[in-house]
Amino acid sequence: MKMKYSTFSQADNNQMGEPMFFGQPVNVARYDQQKYPIFEKLIEKQLSFFWRPEEVDVSQDRIDFRNLPDHEKHIFLGNLKYQTLLDSIQGRSPNVAFLPLVSIPELETWIETWSFSETIHSRSYTHIIRNIVNDPAVVFDDIVRNRHIIERAGDISTYYDELIQYANLYNQFGEGTHQLNGETITIDLFELKKKLYLCMMSVNVLEAIRFYVSFACSFAFAERRLMEGNAKIIRLIARDEALHLTGTQHIINIMQEGDDDPQMAEVARACHEQSIEIFRHAAEQEKQWAEYLFKDGSMIGLNYSILSQYVEYITNLRMSAVGLEPIFPGANQNPIPWINAWLVSDNVQVAPQEVEVSSYLVGQIDSEVSLEDLGEFEL
Amino acid sequence: MQVITRDTLFELAEGETLLEGLERTGHHVEYQCRSGYCGACRIKLKVGSVVYPKPPLAFVKRDEILPCCCLVTEPIVINVPLKSKL
Repeated sequence: MKMKYSTFSQADNNQMGEPMFFGQPVNVARYDQQKYPIFEKLIEKQLSFFWRPEEVDVSQDRIDFRNLPDHEKHIFLGNLKYQTLLDSIQGRSPNVAFLPLVSIPELETWIETWSFSETIHSRSYTHIIRNIVNDPAVVFDDIVRNRHIIERAGDISTYYDELIQYANLYNQFGEGTHQLNGETITIDLFELKKKLYLCMMSVNVLEAIRFYVSFACSFAFAERRLMEGNAKIIRLIARDEALHLTGTQHIINIMQEGDDDPQMAEVARACHEQSIEIFRHAAEQEKQWAEYLFKDGSMIGLNYSILSQYVEYITNLRMSAVGLEPIFPGANQNPIPWINAWLVSDNVQVAPQEVEVSSYLVGQIDSEVSLEDLGEFEL
Repeated sequence: MQVITRDTLFELAEGETLLEGLERTGHHVEYQCRSGYCGACRIKLKVGSVVYPKPPLAFVKRDEILPCCCLVTEPIVINVPLKSKL
Protein backbone atom coordinates (compact mmCIF):
# COMPACT_ATOMS: atom_id res chain seq x y z
CA MET A 1 0.00 0.00 0.00
CA LYS A 2 1.37 3.33 -1.06
CA MET A 3 2.12 6.12 1.37
CA LYS A 4 -0.77 8.57 1.42
CA TYR A 5 -0.25 12.06 0.13
CA SER A 6 0.68 14.57 2.75
CA THR A 7 1.87 18.15 2.30
CA PHE A 8 4.64 17.31 4.73
CA SER A 9 5.20 13.68 5.55
CA GLN A 10 7.09 13.38 8.82
CA ALA A 11 8.67 10.08 7.85
CA ASP A 12 12.38 10.00 7.11
CA ASN A 13 12.89 10.33 3.40
CA ASN A 14 15.82 9.39 1.22
CA GLN A 15 14.86 11.39 -1.85
CA MET A 16 17.81 10.10 -3.83
CA GLY A 17 16.22 6.67 -3.78
CA GLU A 18 12.71 7.78 -4.73
CA PRO A 19 11.30 7.55 -8.26
CA MET A 20 10.08 10.71 -10.02
CA PHE A 21 6.48 9.78 -9.29
CA PHE A 22 4.53 7.56 -6.89
CA GLY A 23 7.21 7.30 -4.22
CA GLN A 24 7.09 8.96 -0.84
CA PRO A 25 5.63 12.46 -1.22
CA VAL A 26 8.29 15.15 -1.08
CA ASN A 27 8.71 16.55 2.41
CA VAL A 28 11.81 18.75 2.68
CA ALA A 29 12.27 21.00 -0.35
CA ARG A 30 16.01 20.49 -0.52
CA TYR A 31 18.30 20.76 -3.51
CA ASP A 32 21.64 19.89 -1.94
CA GLN A 33 21.31 16.36 -3.29
CA GLN A 34 19.54 15.71 -6.54
CA LYS A 35 18.58 12.55 -8.35
CA TYR A 36 18.00 14.44 -11.60
CA PRO A 37 19.91 17.75 -11.57
CA ILE A 38 18.52 18.54 -15.02
CA PHE A 39 15.28 19.71 -13.42
CA GLU A 40 17.05 22.33 -11.36
CA LYS A 41 18.92 23.46 -14.49
CA LEU A 42 15.54 23.89 -16.16
CA ILE A 43 14.30 25.91 -13.18
CA GLU A 44 17.32 28.20 -13.38
CA LYS A 45 16.89 28.67 -17.12
CA GLN A 46 13.18 29.40 -16.73
CA LEU A 47 13.89 31.99 -14.05
CA SER A 48 16.50 33.62 -16.26
CA PHE A 49 13.79 33.92 -18.93
CA PHE A 50 11.48 35.87 -16.64
CA TRP A 51 9.49 38.58 -18.38
CA ARG A 52 6.33 40.57 -17.81
CA PRO A 53 3.74 41.24 -20.54
CA GLU A 54 3.46 44.90 -19.53
CA GLU A 55 7.05 45.40 -20.63
CA VAL A 56 6.05 44.87 -24.23
CA ASP A 57 4.36 47.77 -25.90
CA VAL A 58 1.38 46.73 -28.02
CA SER A 59 -0.12 50.12 -28.82
CA GLN A 60 0.87 50.04 -32.49
CA ASP A 61 -0.89 46.66 -32.68
CA ARG A 62 -4.19 48.39 -31.94
CA ILE A 63 -3.76 50.55 -35.02
CA ASP A 64 -2.55 47.62 -37.13
CA PHE A 65 -5.47 45.47 -36.00
CA ARG A 66 -8.04 48.10 -36.94
CA ASN A 67 -6.64 48.12 -40.49
CA LEU A 68 -6.58 44.34 -40.96
CA PRO A 69 -9.12 42.88 -43.39
CA ASP A 70 -11.87 40.91 -41.62
CA HIS A 71 -10.50 37.47 -42.50
CA GLU A 72 -7.14 38.40 -40.98
CA LYS A 73 -8.85 39.77 -37.87
CA HIS A 74 -10.48 36.35 -37.59
CA ILE A 75 -7.12 34.60 -37.91
CA PHE A 76 -5.51 36.84 -35.33
CA LEU A 77 -8.28 36.62 -32.74
CA GLY A 78 -8.84 32.90 -33.38
CA ASN A 79 -5.24 32.19 -32.51
CA LEU A 80 -5.34 34.33 -29.41
CA LYS A 81 -8.46 32.52 -28.22
CA TYR A 82 -6.88 29.12 -28.78
CA GLN A 83 -3.68 30.11 -27.03
CA THR A 84 -5.68 31.52 -24.15
CA LEU A 85 -7.35 28.13 -23.83
CA LEU A 86 -4.04 26.24 -23.94
CA ASP A 87 -2.44 28.36 -21.26
CA SER A 88 -5.57 28.38 -19.11
CA ILE A 89 -5.12 24.63 -18.93
CA GLN A 90 -1.36 24.73 -18.55
CA GLY A 91 -1.35 27.45 -15.89
CA ARG A 92 -3.05 25.11 -13.45
CA SER A 93 -3.08 21.50 -14.56
CA PRO A 94 0.56 20.45 -14.09
CA ASN A 95 0.23 21.62 -10.48
CA VAL A 96 -3.11 19.96 -9.81
CA ALA A 97 -2.30 16.72 -11.61
CA PHE A 98 1.40 16.11 -11.06
CA LEU A 99 2.28 17.70 -7.72
CA PRO A 100 0.40 15.15 -5.58
CA LEU A 101 2.21 12.33 -7.41
CA VAL A 102 5.75 13.63 -7.59
CA SER A 103 8.36 12.34 -5.15
CA ILE A 104 11.59 14.24 -5.78
CA PRO A 105 12.00 17.93 -4.84
CA GLU A 106 13.81 19.19 -7.94
CA LEU A 107 11.04 17.85 -10.18
CA GLU A 108 8.33 19.18 -7.85
CA THR A 109 9.82 22.67 -8.06
CA TRP A 110 10.30 22.42 -11.82
CA ILE A 111 6.60 21.61 -12.22
CA GLU A 112 5.64 24.65 -10.15
CA THR A 113 8.07 26.91 -12.02
CA TRP A 114 6.83 25.58 -15.35
CA SER A 115 3.19 26.09 -14.52
CA PHE A 116 3.84 29.55 -13.12
CA SER A 117 5.43 30.64 -16.37
CA GLU A 118 2.23 29.59 -18.16
CA THR A 119 0.27 32.03 -16.02
CA ILE A 120 2.48 34.81 -17.39
CA HIS A 121 1.42 33.71 -20.86
CA SER A 122 -2.23 33.87 -19.85
CA ARG A 123 -1.78 37.38 -18.51
CA SER A 124 -0.05 38.40 -21.70
CA TYR A 125 -3.07 37.41 -23.80
CA THR A 126 -5.23 39.70 -21.70
CA HIS A 127 -2.62 42.42 -22.19
CA ILE A 128 -2.82 42.01 -25.97
CA ILE A 129 -6.58 41.63 -26.18
CA ARG A 130 -7.26 44.59 -23.88
CA ASN A 131 -5.12 46.70 -26.16
CA ILE A 132 -6.55 45.74 -29.50
CA VAL A 133 -10.31 45.46 -28.91
CA ASN A 134 -12.71 47.70 -27.02
CA ASP A 135 -14.52 44.87 -25.29
CA PRO A 136 -12.22 41.97 -24.31
CA ALA A 137 -15.23 39.98 -23.09
CA VAL A 138 -16.30 39.39 -26.70
CA VAL A 139 -13.03 37.53 -27.26
CA PHE A 140 -12.85 35.67 -23.95
CA ASP A 141 -16.51 34.64 -23.86
CA ASP A 142 -16.19 33.01 -27.24
CA ILE A 143 -13.55 30.56 -25.99
CA VAL A 144 -16.13 28.31 -24.35
CA ARG A 145 -18.74 28.98 -27.04
CA ASN A 146 -16.64 28.32 -30.12
CA ARG A 147 -16.95 24.65 -31.03
CA HIS A 148 -13.59 24.58 -32.84
CA ILE A 149 -11.83 25.64 -29.67
CA ILE A 150 -13.90 23.63 -27.25
CA GLU A 151 -13.32 20.45 -29.24
CA ARG A 152 -9.58 20.88 -28.62
CA ALA A 153 -10.13 21.78 -24.98
CA GLY A 154 -11.86 18.43 -24.51
CA ASP A 155 -9.01 16.46 -26.00
CA ILE A 156 -6.36 18.18 -23.92
CA SER A 157 -8.08 18.34 -20.55
CA THR A 158 -9.40 14.76 -20.69
CA TYR A 159 -5.95 13.28 -20.04
CA TYR A 160 -5.43 15.56 -17.07
CA ASP A 161 -8.93 15.02 -15.70
CA GLU A 162 -8.76 11.25 -15.93
CA LEU A 163 -5.40 11.20 -14.22
CA ILE A 164 -6.57 13.53 -11.45
CA GLN A 165 -9.75 11.55 -10.80
CA TYR A 166 -8.04 8.19 -10.79
CA ALA A 167 -5.21 9.47 -8.59
CA ASN A 168 -7.76 10.82 -6.12
CA LEU A 169 -9.39 7.42 -5.84
CA TYR A 170 -6.02 5.73 -5.52
CA ASN A 171 -4.98 8.13 -2.80
CA GLN A 172 -8.22 7.67 -0.89
CA PHE A 173 -8.85 3.96 -1.26
CA GLY A 174 -5.60 2.40 -2.48
CA GLU A 175 -5.30 -0.48 -4.91
CA GLY A 176 -8.05 -3.09 -5.09
CA THR A 177 -11.72 -3.41 -5.93
CA HIS A 178 -14.03 -1.01 -4.17
CA GLN A 179 -17.74 -0.38 -3.96
CA LEU A 180 -18.26 3.35 -4.44
CA ASN A 181 -21.74 4.83 -4.70
CA GLY A 182 -23.07 1.45 -5.78
CA GLU A 183 -20.42 1.15 -8.50
CA THR A 184 -17.63 -1.40 -8.53
CA ILE A 185 -14.31 0.29 -9.22
CA THR A 186 -10.93 -1.38 -9.56
CA ILE A 187 -7.94 0.78 -8.70
CA ASP A 188 -4.63 -0.41 -9.97
CA LEU A 189 -1.22 1.29 -9.82
CA PHE A 190 -0.23 0.11 -13.31
CA GLU A 191 -3.37 1.72 -14.70
CA LEU A 192 -2.63 4.92 -12.79
CA LYS A 193 0.90 5.01 -14.19
CA LYS A 194 -0.54 4.59 -17.67
CA LYS A 195 -2.76 7.58 -17.11
CA LEU A 196 0.24 9.61 -15.96
CA TYR A 197 2.33 8.54 -18.95
CA LEU A 198 -0.40 9.32 -21.48
CA CYS A 199 -1.11 12.64 -19.80
CA MET A 200 2.58 13.55 -20.00
CA MET A 201 2.59 12.56 -23.67
CA SER A 202 -0.46 14.70 -24.33
CA VAL A 203 1.16 17.68 -22.57
CA ASN A 204 4.29 17.10 -24.62
CA VAL A 205 2.17 17.22 -27.78
CA LEU A 206 0.47 20.37 -26.58
CA GLU A 207 3.78 22.13 -26.17
CA ALA A 208 5.41 20.56 -29.19
CA ILE A 209 2.72 20.98 -31.81
CA ARG A 210 -0.45 22.71 -30.67
CA PHE A 211 1.14 26.10 -30.08
CA TYR A 212 2.96 26.22 -33.38
CA VAL A 213 0.11 26.98 -35.79
CA SER A 214 -0.58 30.15 -33.80
CA PHE A 215 3.12 30.95 -33.59
CA ALA A 216 3.41 30.67 -37.36
CA CYS A 217 0.49 33.04 -37.94
CA SER A 218 1.79 35.60 -35.43
CA PHE A 219 5.18 35.63 -37.10
CA ALA A 220 3.64 35.77 -40.57
CA PHE A 221 1.91 39.02 -39.54
CA ALA A 222 5.17 40.35 -38.14
CA GLU A 223 7.05 39.46 -41.35
CA ARG A 224 4.79 42.13 -42.90
CA ARG A 225 5.63 44.43 -39.99
CA LEU A 226 2.13 44.06 -38.58
CA MET A 227 1.13 43.22 -35.01
CA GLU A 228 4.76 43.38 -33.96
CA GLY A 229 4.10 43.85 -30.26
CA ASN A 230 2.14 40.63 -30.34
CA ALA A 231 5.00 38.89 -32.16
CA LYS A 232 7.40 40.13 -29.53
CA ILE A 233 5.27 38.51 -26.82
CA ILE A 234 4.83 35.32 -28.84
CA ARG A 235 8.62 35.04 -29.17
CA LEU A 236 8.94 35.16 -25.40
CA ILE A 237 6.19 32.57 -25.06
CA ALA A 238 7.81 30.34 -27.70
CA ARG A 239 11.10 30.52 -25.84
CA ASP A 240 9.37 29.38 -22.64
CA GLU A 241 7.48 26.64 -24.46
CA ALA A 242 10.67 25.27 -25.98
CA LEU A 243 12.01 24.88 -22.46
CA HIS A 244 8.82 23.25 -21.18
CA LEU A 245 9.01 20.87 -24.09
CA THR A 246 12.52 19.93 -23.06
CA GLY A 247 11.14 19.28 -19.57
CA THR A 248 8.46 16.84 -20.72
CA GLN A 249 10.90 15.19 -23.14
CA HIS A 250 13.23 14.51 -20.22
CA ILE A 251 10.42 13.15 -18.05
CA ILE A 252 9.15 10.88 -20.82
CA ASN A 253 12.60 9.60 -21.74
CA ILE A 254 13.45 8.88 -18.09
CA MET A 255 10.18 6.97 -17.80
CA GLN A 256 10.92 4.96 -20.94
CA GLU A 257 14.42 4.02 -19.83
CA GLY A 258 13.08 2.43 -16.65
CA ASP A 259 16.12 3.04 -14.42
CA ASP A 260 14.00 5.38 -12.34
CA ASP A 261 10.99 3.06 -12.08
CA PRO A 262 11.21 -0.28 -13.95
CA GLN A 263 7.44 -0.54 -14.13
CA MET A 264 7.31 2.81 -15.95
CA ALA A 265 9.29 1.30 -18.83
CA GLU A 266 6.62 -1.40 -19.08
CA VAL A 267 3.94 1.27 -18.95
CA ALA A 268 5.68 3.16 -21.76
CA ARG A 269 5.74 0.02 -23.90
CA ALA A 270 2.09 -0.68 -23.15
CA CYS A 271 1.22 2.90 -24.17
CA HIS A 272 3.29 2.91 -27.37
CA GLU A 273 0.40 2.72 -29.83
CA GLN A 274 -1.75 5.14 -27.87
CA SER A 275 1.12 7.62 -27.75
CA ILE A 276 1.44 7.55 -31.52
CA GLU A 277 -2.31 8.08 -31.78
CA ILE A 278 -2.13 11.12 -29.48
CA PHE A 279 0.41 12.67 -31.87
CA ARG A 280 -1.56 11.71 -34.97
CA HIS A 281 -4.83 13.00 -33.57
CA ALA A 282 -3.30 16.30 -32.45
CA ALA A 283 -1.64 16.82 -35.84
CA GLU A 284 -4.95 16.19 -37.63
CA GLN A 285 -6.73 18.52 -35.23
CA GLU A 286 -4.19 21.26 -35.80
CA LYS A 287 -4.57 20.92 -39.55
CA GLN A 288 -8.32 21.29 -39.11
CA TRP A 289 -7.64 24.33 -36.98
CA ALA A 290 -5.61 25.86 -39.80
CA GLU A 291 -8.54 25.17 -42.12
CA TYR A 292 -10.90 26.97 -39.74
CA LEU A 293 -8.52 29.92 -39.42
CA PHE A 294 -8.27 30.34 -43.18
CA LYS A 295 -11.94 29.65 -43.94
CA ASP A 296 -12.55 33.20 -45.20
CA GLY A 297 -9.14 33.65 -46.81
CA SER A 298 -5.44 32.96 -46.28
CA MET A 299 -2.79 35.42 -45.30
CA ILE A 300 0.32 36.45 -47.23
CA GLY A 301 3.01 33.80 -46.82
CA LEU A 302 0.75 31.24 -45.18
CA ASN A 303 -2.12 29.09 -46.29
CA TYR A 304 -3.79 25.85 -45.27
CA SER A 305 -1.50 23.63 -47.31
CA ILE A 306 1.74 25.22 -46.09
CA LEU A 307 0.62 25.13 -42.46
CA SER A 308 -0.45 21.50 -42.81
CA GLN A 309 2.98 20.56 -44.13
CA TYR A 310 4.55 22.45 -41.25
CA VAL A 311 2.37 20.61 -38.71
CA GLU A 312 3.40 17.28 -40.25
CA TYR A 313 7.05 18.27 -40.28
CA ILE A 314 7.20 19.29 -36.63
CA THR A 315 5.07 16.31 -35.59
CA ASN A 316 7.74 14.03 -37.07
CA LEU A 317 10.52 15.92 -35.28
CA ARG A 318 8.78 15.88 -31.92
CA MET A 319 7.89 12.22 -32.19
CA SER A 320 11.45 11.13 -32.72
CA ALA A 321 12.48 13.19 -29.68
CA VAL A 322 10.38 10.91 -27.47
CA GLY A 323 11.35 7.65 -29.14
CA LEU A 324 8.43 7.31 -31.54
CA GLU A 325 8.68 6.62 -35.27
CA PRO A 326 7.62 9.63 -37.39
CA ILE A 327 4.18 9.13 -38.96
CA PHE A 328 4.33 11.50 -41.94
CA PRO A 329 6.88 9.93 -44.32
CA GLY A 330 7.15 12.74 -46.87
CA ALA A 331 7.34 15.60 -44.37
CA ASN A 332 11.10 15.92 -43.98
CA GLN A 333 11.51 19.59 -44.88
CA ASN A 334 10.44 22.75 -43.15
CA PRO A 335 8.05 24.54 -45.55
CA ILE A 336 8.39 27.82 -43.60
CA PRO A 337 12.10 28.03 -42.72
CA TRP A 338 11.74 31.77 -41.97
CA ILE A 339 9.90 30.85 -38.77
CA ASN A 340 13.16 29.74 -37.15
CA ALA A 341 14.56 33.26 -37.29
CA TRP A 342 11.61 34.25 -35.08
CA LEU A 343 12.00 31.28 -32.79
CA VAL A 344 15.70 31.72 -32.18
CA SER A 345 16.15 33.21 -28.74
CA ASP A 346 19.56 34.86 -29.12
CA ASN A 347 18.09 38.25 -29.73
CA VAL A 348 14.97 38.15 -27.60
CA GLN A 349 15.04 41.22 -25.41
CA VAL A 350 12.45 42.55 -23.10
CA ALA A 351 13.08 46.24 -22.42
CA PRO A 352 10.77 48.23 -24.72
CA GLN A 353 13.44 50.71 -25.73
CA GLU A 354 15.54 47.83 -26.99
CA VAL A 355 12.78 46.14 -28.90
CA GLU A 356 13.49 46.18 -32.57
CA VAL A 357 10.15 44.84 -33.70
CA SER A 358 7.67 46.76 -31.60
CA SER A 359 7.41 50.45 -32.34
CA TYR A 360 7.90 52.13 -29.00
CA LEU A 361 5.25 54.77 -28.47
CA VAL A 362 5.54 56.85 -25.32
CA GLY A 363 2.31 57.03 -23.34
CA GLN A 364 0.56 54.80 -25.85
CA ILE A 365 -0.18 57.79 -28.09
CA ASP A 366 0.42 57.80 -31.80
CA SER A 367 3.07 60.48 -32.07
CA GLU A 368 3.34 60.49 -35.83
CA VAL A 369 2.46 63.85 -37.35
CA SER A 370 1.96 64.16 -41.07
CA LEU A 371 2.09 67.36 -43.12
CA GLU A 372 -1.65 67.11 -43.71
CA ASP A 373 -2.27 67.45 -40.00
CA LEU A 374 -0.69 70.88 -40.18
CA GLY A 375 -2.67 71.92 -43.26
CA GLU A 376 -5.00 74.31 -41.48
CA PHE A 377 -2.32 75.68 -39.24
CA GLU A 378 -1.56 79.38 -39.67
CA LEU A 379 1.15 81.49 -38.12
CA MET B 1 38.06 19.34 -38.22
CA GLN B 2 36.57 17.04 -40.82
CA VAL B 3 32.84 16.36 -40.85
CA ILE B 4 31.44 13.58 -43.01
CA THR B 5 27.71 13.80 -43.65
CA ARG B 6 25.27 11.58 -45.51
CA ASP B 7 26.00 13.19 -48.86
CA THR B 8 29.33 14.97 -48.60
CA LEU B 9 32.21 16.02 -46.38
CA PHE B 10 33.55 19.40 -45.29
CA GLU B 11 36.04 21.08 -42.99
CA LEU B 12 34.70 23.00 -40.05
CA ALA B 13 35.93 26.61 -40.19
CA GLU B 14 37.72 28.32 -37.34
CA GLY B 15 35.32 29.47 -34.60
CA GLU B 16 32.30 28.03 -36.35
CA THR B 17 29.79 25.79 -34.58
CA LEU B 18 28.85 22.50 -36.21
CA LEU B 19 25.37 23.92 -36.82
CA GLU B 20 26.83 26.95 -38.61
CA GLY B 21 29.10 24.68 -40.64
CA LEU B 22 26.16 22.51 -41.69
CA GLU B 23 24.16 25.59 -42.69
CA ARG B 24 27.08 27.07 -44.61
CA THR B 25 27.50 23.88 -46.62
CA GLY B 26 23.80 23.60 -47.54
CA HIS B 27 22.75 20.84 -45.19
CA HIS B 28 19.24 20.37 -43.95
CA VAL B 29 19.29 20.92 -40.23
CA GLU B 30 16.59 22.26 -37.97
CA TYR B 31 17.22 24.85 -35.26
CA GLN B 32 15.43 26.94 -32.73
CA CYS B 33 17.22 28.21 -29.62
CA ARG B 34 20.80 27.71 -30.90
CA SER B 35 21.95 27.44 -27.31
CA GLY B 36 21.32 23.88 -26.24
CA TYR B 37 18.02 24.00 -24.39
CA CYS B 38 15.40 23.22 -27.04
CA GLY B 39 16.93 20.21 -28.77
CA ALA B 40 15.45 21.12 -32.17
CA CYS B 41 18.79 20.67 -33.98
CA ARG B 42 19.58 17.19 -32.60
CA ILE B 43 21.24 14.91 -35.17
CA LYS B 44 22.54 11.33 -35.23
CA LEU B 45 26.24 10.80 -34.65
CA LYS B 46 27.48 7.68 -36.43
CA VAL B 47 31.22 7.74 -35.82
CA GLY B 48 33.38 9.78 -33.45
CA SER B 49 32.52 11.84 -30.43
CA VAL B 50 31.99 15.48 -29.46
CA VAL B 51 32.31 17.42 -26.22
CA TYR B 52 30.15 20.09 -24.64
CA PRO B 53 31.81 23.10 -22.97
CA LYS B 54 28.54 23.42 -21.00
CA PRO B 55 26.25 20.39 -20.67
CA PRO B 56 23.13 21.11 -22.77
CA LEU B 57 19.68 21.21 -21.17
CA ALA B 58 17.93 19.43 -24.01
CA PHE B 59 17.46 15.70 -23.88
CA VAL B 60 20.05 13.98 -26.07
CA LYS B 61 20.04 10.25 -26.68
CA ARG B 62 23.28 8.31 -26.59
CA ASP B 63 23.68 8.36 -30.38
CA GLU B 64 22.63 11.99 -30.80
CA ILE B 65 24.45 15.32 -30.60
CA LEU B 66 23.40 18.98 -30.56
CA PRO B 67 25.32 20.76 -33.36
CA CYS B 68 24.44 24.21 -31.93
CA CYS B 69 26.56 23.83 -28.83
CA CYS B 70 28.91 20.85 -29.17
CA LEU B 71 32.63 21.08 -29.87
CA VAL B 72 33.99 18.84 -32.61
CA THR B 73 37.41 17.66 -31.44
CA GLU B 74 37.89 14.72 -33.79
CA PRO B 75 36.63 13.80 -37.28
CA ILE B 76 32.97 12.73 -37.12
CA VAL B 77 30.41 11.00 -39.30
CA ILE B 78 26.85 12.30 -38.96
CA ASN B 79 23.60 11.38 -40.61
CA VAL B 80 22.61 14.75 -42.07
CA PRO B 81 21.47 15.17 -45.70
CA LEU B 82 22.13 18.05 -48.07
CA LYS B 83 19.04 20.19 -48.75
CA SER B 84 19.51 19.53 -52.45
CA LYS B 85 19.36 15.76 -51.91
CA LEU B 86 16.09 15.73 -49.96
